[in-house]
Amino acid sequence: MTEQKYKFLSTPRRPVEDRRFVAGRGKFIADLDRPNMLHVAPLASHHAAAVINGIDASAALAMPGVVDVITGAELAAAVQPLMNGLNTPNVRRFPLAVDRVRYAGEWVCAVVAESRALAEDALEKIIVDATPQPFILDAEAALLETSAPVHPEHGSNLLLDRKFVWGPVDDDFDAAAHSLSFSVTWGRNSTVPIETFGVLAEWNGWDQMLDIWASIQMPKYADQIARSLDLPGNAIRVHYDVDVGGSYGVKRGIKHSVLVGYVARKLGCPVRLIEDRLENMRAGDAHGPERKFDITIAFDQDGTVRSMKMRALDNAGAYAGRAPFQLGKPISAIVGPYQINSVAYHALSVTTNKTVQEAVRGFGQAPTNYAIETAMDRVAKYLGMDRLALRQKNLIRKDQFPYLIPSGSYYDSGDYHAVIDKVLAAADYPAMLAERDRLRDAGMMAGIGIAACLEPSGGNSSFEPLLNQSNQTSTWMESCQVNIDALGKLTARIHTTSSGQGHETLVSTVLGEVMQIDPELIRITRPNSLESLPGNSPVGSRMAIMLGGAAARAGEKLKAKIMAIAAHRLGVAIDQLRYEGGDVLAHDGRRFTWDEMVELAHRQYHNLPDGMDPGLASFDIMQVPTGDALPVDDKVQMYPCYSFEFHLLLVSFDPIIGRPDIHSYVIGHDCGTVINPAIVSGMTYGGIAHGIGAALFEEFAYDTNGQLLTQSFLDYLMPSSHEVPAIQIVKHCTPSPHTVFGQKGSGESGYLGAPAAVSAAINDAVSGLGIHFEKLPIRMSAISDAIAAKTS
Amino acid sequence: MKPVRFDYKRPATIDEACGLLAGDDNARILAGGQSLIPMLSMRLSRPSLLIDIAHIPELTTFVETETHIEIGAMVRQAAAQKSELVKTHIPLLAKALGHVGHPPTRARGTVGGSVAHADPSAEIALVTATLGAEITYRVDGTDEIFDASDFFIGPMLTIAPPTGCLTRLSFAKAPAVCGTGFHEVAPRKSDYALVSAAAQINFAAGSGVTSIHLGIGSVGDFPERLDVNKLCGTPLDDAAIADAVHAAMQMVETVEDLHATAAYRKRVATELAIRALRDARDEISKDLNQ
Repeated sequence: MTEQKYKFLSTPRRPVEDRRFVAGRGKFIADLDRPNMLHVAPLASHHAAAVINGIDASAALAMPGVVDVITGAELAAAVQPLMNGLNTPNVRRFPLAVDRVRYAGEWVCAVVAESRALAEDALEKIIVDATPQPFILDAEAALLETSAPVHPEHGSNLLLDRKFVWGPVDDDFDAAAHSLSFSVTWGRNSTVPIETFGVLAEWNGWDQMLDIWASIQMPKYADQIARSLDLPGNAIRVHYDVDVGGSYGVKRGIKHSVLVGYVARKLGCPVRLIEDRLENMRAGDAHGPERKFDITIAFDQDGTVRSMKMRALDNAGAYAGRAPFQLGKPISAIVGPYQINSVAYHALSVTTNKTVQEAVRGFGQAPTNYAIETAMDRVAKYLGMDRLALRQKNLIRKDQFPYLIPSGSYYDSGDYHAVIDKVLAAADYPAMLAERDRLRDAGMMAGIGIAACLEPSGGNSSFEPLLNQSNQTSTWMESCQVNIDALGKLTARIHTTSSGQGHETLVSTVLGEVMQIDPELIRITRPNSLESLPGNSPVGSRMAIMLGGAAARAGEKLKAKIMAIAAHRLGVAIDQLRYEGGDVLAHDGRRFTWDEMVELAHRQYHNLPDGMDPGLASFDIMQVPTGDALPVDDKVQMYPCYSFEFHLLLVSFDPIIGRPDIHSYVIGHDCGTVINPAIVSGMTYGGIAHGIGAALFEEFAYDTNGQLLTQSFLDYLMPSSHEVPAIQIVKHCTPSPHTVFGQKGSGESGYLGAPAAVSAAINDAVSGLGIHFEKLPIRMSAISDAIAAKTS
Repeated sequence: MKPVRFDYKRPATIDEACGLLAGDDNARILAGGQSLIPMLSMRLSRPSLLIDIAHIPELTTFVETETHIEIGAMVRQAAAQKSELVKTHIPLLAKALGHVGHPPTRARGTVGGSVAHADPSAEIALVTATLGAEITYRVDGTDEIFDASDFFIGPMLTIAPPTGCLTRLSFAKAPAVCGTGFHEVAPRKSDYALVSAAAQINFAAGSGVTSIHLGIGSVGDFPERLDVNKLCGTPLDDAAIADAVHAAMQMVETVEDLHATAAYRKRVATELAIRALRDARDEISKDLNQ
């Protein structure tokens, strides 16, 4: 184990952010107020699809306190379409609907008023003359040539249709003794932050500067706003010193920000838009993948899984968004933790008249893991083999790393069998099996769920050039600046907002470790975007690796300078010096103290080595490890690091009521070297809660008229503390060879395997009745109905 | 999610409240606000005047008479839950209150407000309908009393007079020996119930079971009483209870939504009604065996 070798890393330390949040002293968009600030409320479409003939806003504009009504036509004439990353120039998207609405809830126009309440009053006075059009909700139906395209100019509903064959799929299928096929569907759900998206923009004409405060988690946010508003990049100043009340992917806010930026410039006033919950759920960036998998899997009598064919059809909603790329990330772990020799992957993304799909925790990995783990259970059942034994047989062994998977990524490191053994011991697996049988004897339905999966981490964007050859992006960097002031204290700058990941704790811990300074004494600041170095924000489970890496490297650069000053001062070679707790010790016992070093660097240029610049500052811009090539032959190294998790749980339910009760939940988690244990555990607990939601409760469901049924927490049900059991985390550490401390990502942990595991437990409980639940979420009503159909 | 503009008045007496209500066709009474305030925010309710009855002292009292317990309309659910009068004399309500929302919503929500609001899944409304509680409204200076058994006629719909103000609920005291049962299922703890069932069996020494009250909630448009009084005088064995409930459920029409099919509601309502009756029976057995 590596824990002992660090002073601050991997030690139980309270996250520094906790203090302000627990005390209610965070600074969120809703806490910001600017003089003469105006408020925006968007008008939501009632139709799933309609042609807009005209908008009469005269009554709204006549109301006191109403300043303006912005229509899609006005906006489209003034701003560039929002970027989507695919080559679909005719799938154009603006913040407000132009000529046509494509989903219920889409913003038709926006009122600007002196208060949000006035703006909402004015919305009711706007008359939209619209002609309803045919609409389509189902992804398979959208694929049919007979279906009307959501974007007629695009000619079809197809956004992405890519077939990959990695390895000898046909040969492996021919050689395999058995194959089986099945379908599973991942319901449309999300991460649902406590704080909805908010943005405040203020235009200063004298400086030609647009200041923006926004609750974002969005790569290249400032660039995208500048492009859309036709402003130079240095005319957008995004303030990163705001707190973001939760995200996990859904705080993108480009359309909101372009709208508000445009209005702020047009009217010369500060303008704020904060989504209410209805707007967030029906038209924010709230919806995650909705995906149907058709899988055929080839295997031998002894349980060896040879090959897999996977067709993944994703319902992207009305515009391209990030949905198609969420079919791309799973390519980096398309075989899960298993030795599967070849894979055929058909990725399809279609437009429908539903809300636009955006990035959600795991970026498509959790649905794919659910499909792979369902496949393993199906194979075990087919062969009459123990599910655990089947997995253990197919798992990649620790002596096989680095392990090259068919789609071109090397898995860095792992010891999957060891993690599973630890979990089985911690859970007392034989006792768990006995308890399941006892529950069954007592008339309950009881099942055990297991799931093994990977968390690709480190976040490069190789799926973009893989799915879109005209995209040549291989750079995916993160940066950190460090300065030691004239009084000897250390300040680090990070160049992004945080939505609960604890980046201040991350950077202070890492720098404390490198500089051997108490992290409590290190200050972390967040400058605005114009004072920042480039970065790609916290996506793709990357910040422990990337921001932690950049901070460590910046610290090492500073340390190298300190050593050079010390060597010069003491008149000895650097290799005869040792850095210790901020001081430098010579082999002969002389000590060059931190305070002396600060004095020299800040005030005694004459005592610095010849040619050395004064001051004590450094920075680092770090490229993602292993991210050094574009795809070749449809293969690419995607993420550098692969965390492993293994879930084991026991569920029971009354056969008539059907309400699952999770008795015990154990997860084995290996994300390499842990930087802050509390943050990693928190991510994992929350991830499992989120996964329980995806498995049992959460869905953005539509009725047959294309209306979203779950627009508030009345119907969009998330697990509460009552539904989430006590969770036992079993830790294991296999350091990554690619990162400064061996750390891997953990921001998606728990969520990536929990839906598969919970689904497996319920299916185990009903397997004796010949029932397979093939769609998430599995509602209690569906459980009871299925059992009743089999037993009555 | 901002309410439409409204006026706000805080009367000191019931008659003042009724006067305000009579003076504005579009006025609404505000009690604990746990349902009304979200409805205002969603603009599902658009009153021109809100009459806040939280500061009318006579609405916040419990009154014990020889035969009844009267609960003022503004008594908070949390206060009712703690009340010894409720625990002793309205044991079914005491059981149901733990299922109503969460501690923070019970701290604000009122017993009367829940009845006036008439959500089909409301536990308190179910208990009043099951027990046939008396619901008193003040209308034009006089009291009108309604039988809760036929007070609820649809989702958020009652036969209450539009210009009346609910002042109190009156429950007959349970006999010394009685049994109660309350069950509900919801996707999550304290969610709006998908199905709920309430039962009370009254017993008198010498004459045995004197009456059986059974009601189900959430399955249709309003809480519904099921007549199983034919069980009176039988040994109340499991089979007889099941038969009586199945028979009574024949006529029940159940609703369907995203969270539960109509078939689920029917199946589970039947089961919960059986379980509630069995619980009530077992309580009596326990009492008698002590």
